[in-house]
Amino acid sequence: MNVFISGGAKNGKSMFAQKAAKEMAEEKKVPLYYVATMIPRDEEDEARVARHVKEREGWGFTTVEAGRNICKILDETDPEGVFLLDSVTALLANEMFSDDGYYPEAGKKTAEDLEDFARRTGNTVFVSDYIYSDAALYDEITENYRKALAEADRRLARVCDKVVEVSCGRLTTHKGEEI
Amino acid sequence: MILIFGGAYQGKKEYAIKNYDIEIEDILTLSEDDRTLPEAPAYENLQKFTLGFAKRGESADKYLKENMELLKDKIVISDDISSGIVPVDTTLRAWREMHGRCLNMLAGEADEVVRVFCGIGSRIK
Repeated sequence: MNVFISGGAKNGKSMFAQKAAKEMAEEKKVPLYYVATMIPRDEEDEARVARHVKEREGWGFTTVEAGRNICKILDETDPEGVFLLDSVTALLANEMFSDDGYYPEAGKKTAEDLEDFARRTGNTVFVSDYIYSDAALYDEITENYRKALAEADRRLARVCDKVVEVSCGRLTTHKGEEI
Repeated sequence: MILIFGGAYQGKKEYAIKNYDIEIEDILTLSEDDRTLPEAPAYENLQKFTLGFAKRGESADKYLKENMELLKDKIVISDDISSGIVPVDTTLRAWREMHGRCLNMLAGEADEVVRVFCGIGSRIK
């Protein structure tokens, strides 16, 4: 089952996603993968990654790094396994803003990659960030990113079996069976 | 009136076309320059309409309240701009509050209110 999870920052999305992925893998008795989407750029990032790795200790995740082109990891993993992709937000940022420049068209490619990944695995938990309800007027680049993330979210919501919004640690099921 | 709201780019207009008896041509896209509501079966971008009022230092909630008759039997589509950081800019701050008041008022008058999340609608009234 593919699951799409979104909501505001610090609402408990990752914790819920980790639990959902772990349960799915245990039930199916298949490998459990954590798709690490963050490309550390400085010491602060490295410390953050180390903290996240420590938090996942004992959960049974095998970490696979994929800052870009996520479907590539299917060559080195068991596609029957359960994948936790946290987050769509970071993946899109990596694809759109790389060291050698800004790729305005990266949104479509990333959304297609994600949809492809969902279809090929069938057991992925996707985590995204709901960044669409603030009263700010952004520059063109930020607005393009926001629009592209929304496109990826909508496509994933369409292809996933379950769509869940997390707010204050509480779940609202928008699609699929209530959890 | 039917009020359809949600975050930016959530597929609100597509939801309206799919679920109600309207076509894309029926939906009038509001802008900051609209000082009054032109006649149309449906409106989108209500947040731009209220932004114009905020920029001119006028009250959109007062206007809508006085012209509620115009919105009877209409479909109104709007971004929800209520869930971010309080803007430092005075105008944007006024806009955020004014828009919230407008949506509350419209939701109160509406026969039906739908929130769209990633293309999926939830009827909350």
